[in-house]
Amino acid sequence: MDYAAELLNRVVAGYADRMRIGLHVCRGNWSKREDVLITGDYQPLVACFQKMNVRQFVLEYATPRSGELEVVGRRMSDREIGLGCVNPRTDFAEPATEIVARCQEALEYWRPEQIFLNPDCGFGCFANRCVNVEQVAFEKLCMMVEAAQIMRTRLG
Amino acid sequence: MSFQVTQVGSWPRSERLLSALREKRMGRLPDEDFQRLADEEIRRCLELQIKAGVDVVVDGELRRDNFYSFLADKVSGTRLMSLAEMLDTVEDKAAFEEMLQTLDAPAFAIRNPTCVGKLERREPLAVDDLRFVRSLTDKPVKVTLPGPYLLTRAMWVTAHTQNVYGDKPVMADDVVRILREELEDLAAENVDFVQFDEPVLTEVVHSIDNKRRTFM
Repeated sequence: MDYAAELLNRVVAGYADRMRIGLHVCRGNWSKREDVLITGDYQPLVACFQKMNVRQFVLEYATPRSGELEVVGRRMSDREIGLGCVNPRTDFAEPATEIVARCQEALEYWRPEQIFLNPDCGFGCFANRCVNVEQVAFEKLCMMVEAAQIMRTRLG
Repeated sequence: MSFQVTQVGSWPRSERLLSALREKRMGRLPDEDFQRLADEEIRRCLELQIKAGVDVVVDGELRRDNFYSFLADKVSGTRLMSLAEMLDTVEDKAAFEEMLQTLDAPAFAIRNPTCVGKLERREPLAVDDLRFVRSLTDKPVKVTLPGPYLLTRAMWVTAHTQNVYGDKPVMADDVVRILREELEDLAAENVDFVQFDEPVLTEVVHSIDNKRRTFM
């Protein structure tokens, strides 16, 4: 695991201050079957994350597979979080209220400007097997935007 | 700004784009024709993001076959291999196939940029994509790149790579160099956001107990 951090740090050395660098870590996005995708929270990776010279961690939090926000939140509040808040593999868009609830939870560990909203992963990582269709992907984007507006209004 | 909305990278491919990707791979569609079609698809992908109101846009990775195999187009010393080709070099074929089935893995869909020679960045990996998106919008752009750990694990296929590099860390030095060359070019463009993808990181940690290892 340390090797992953070492490689990444060698890549970004000298660049981390010149651009926003993020790291996306997910447990597979190749199937719509939740049972075959990898389950577990990010606990085993937090020590490795802490060694990495990146500003933002883009993580999956839209399904129960990923465990609690607290695992990363308690130890990584000095970084930004790319909060995975919609599942790229389902056929309906999560309601904005659900995303807002996730944002509220994230506020326990991060300031509003440290929180970015994104899907758990891409909508079509492998060209021949896109996990979603354009219309659903668009609706999910709309719901995230609506949730962000609600949060901004709420926090003034 | 708080709660900036963005994406992780890839956008669903249309039937038209999928067939063009396939034709290009087979050498039946000239690159410039493919790029023209991809330009149109990316333009629509951008319009949808702007209509939805996202804050940081992506190009949807629509020019890419998958989020790391596209390197085979840009980096010399690589060869795009199907899982079937890689299977030839796997010792326990039955176990490998069973694992793919268990995972519901899209064996037909995954191609790997296997290292078969000295790795050199022949052309930029994402700079042109960034420039194109910037020609369409003033919004900040997120550029996605495969992470060095993913690439080191994926590109090294012992039967093909060992006689070139001898040892995995030696190849990793070149992976690091290529990604740094890319960051240098992206920095010159004043890129807003670069995201590295490391899906294997969790795969490694969570699969230790399961004694399984995926193709990535």
